[in-house]
Amino acid sequence: MNRRVLAAGLLVVAPLLGILVLNIGRDPHAFNSPMIGRPAPVFTLKPAGGGAPVSLAALRGRPVVINFWATWCVPCYEEHAVLVAGAREAGDGVQFLGVIYEDEEDRVGDFLARQGSAYPSLLDDDGKTAMAYGIYGVPETFFVDAQGRIAAKYTGPLHRTALAENLDRAREGKP
Amino acid sequence: MTRFGLAVALAVPLAAAAALSAAAQEPAAQEPAAPAPPASTGFEAAEAGAQEDPREVVGAPRGPALSGPALDARTEEVGALLRCPVCQGLSVADSPATMATNMKARVRELLAAGYDEEQILAYFERSYGEFVRLEPPRRGINWLVWLAPPMALLGGLVLVRRTMRRSPAPTPTEGVPARDALPADPVLARNVLRIRELAYGWPGGVPPADPQ
Repeated sequence: MNRRVLAAGLLVVAPLLGILVLNIGRDPHAFNSPMIGRPAPVFTLKPAGGGAPVSLAALRGRPVVINFWATWCVPCYEEHAVLVAGAREAGDGVQFLGVIYEDEEDRVGDFLARQGSAYPSLLDDDGKTAMAYGIYGVPETFFVDAQGRIAAKYTGPLHRTALAENLDRAREGKP
Repeated sequence: MTRFGLAVALAVPLAAAAALSAAAQEPAAQEPAAPAPPASTGFEAAEAGAQEDPREVVGAPRGPALSGPALDARTEEVGALLRCPVCQGLSVADSPATMATNMKARVRELLAAGYDEEQILAYFERSYGEFVRLEPPRRGINWLVWLAPPMALLGGLVLVRRTMRRSPAPTPTEGVPARDALPADPVLARNVLRIRELAYGWPGGVPPADPQ
């Protein structure tokens, strides 16, 4: 009887412990965005430093790279040069956009003056754009194809290879 | 005997609770319930700060447009069902993070526009996936999370009942040596007799004859 009770207990507990052990160290945030393959949420936002509002809908017809970033984010420093170089190389074929995540316009202006800039960085003061894209933190970068669909998402600081690979996805229009 | 039954009865609900927490962390692979937005977004507004119309994500508002204290209360209730994406296991209603504050403001806006609870949850689920819901929706594999704990508890109770029925409580005399029994070791036996003499006053440690 003791063995049977023990076996029954183990039968219930062992698989559950297995699930727990397998999930230890796994980041629950690290999974594919449900946005991939879906239409990119549209927005019209004011660029930091002034200028005409930028509308995503108006950019339909060419791939768009949307980079969510902040000046307080260290990995954003790391990837900034990659994005600026990428934007210069791509020229008019691809539109790069920065969306500021929980930061102040003055700081963004200082950062861009020091680090250089090749595309507009937009102010998302109430965080609605970040929310619509399902942002967990910065940096996160979305690659939108010419039809306005999200072809890829990259979490963390972009490096040249990742930028090129994801841009190809956006150019091909295949998630 | 009953110790095992008791151990199982304790382990089952505990393990079930652990599984519930693990499963709640598990982002489901299935598609969110929100209907796919139409191919044409129909977005025409050019004002700075303009965003997509929530109608395109979750359809027309299905509830009454709230205001005043009812709006405040509902904002808290719906916020409590949404996970703050930048926190560790906190709801949007409970978290002081900027992102949570922004999400709460959005919930308030959507409630004021007449969107119901399910529409608002679906709106955020479209962007964040099912993970954004603090309560797994009752559908598909998620039913396991809702049904497994009460079923495991019930199973544990049945097991305890069965175990207790099968093993009656031991009688007090079971396993107790007779009062005139002596250990096999002669030295130990001598000492036992001496202790009996001292403790009970039996001459030579031998119990008096039973009056019966």
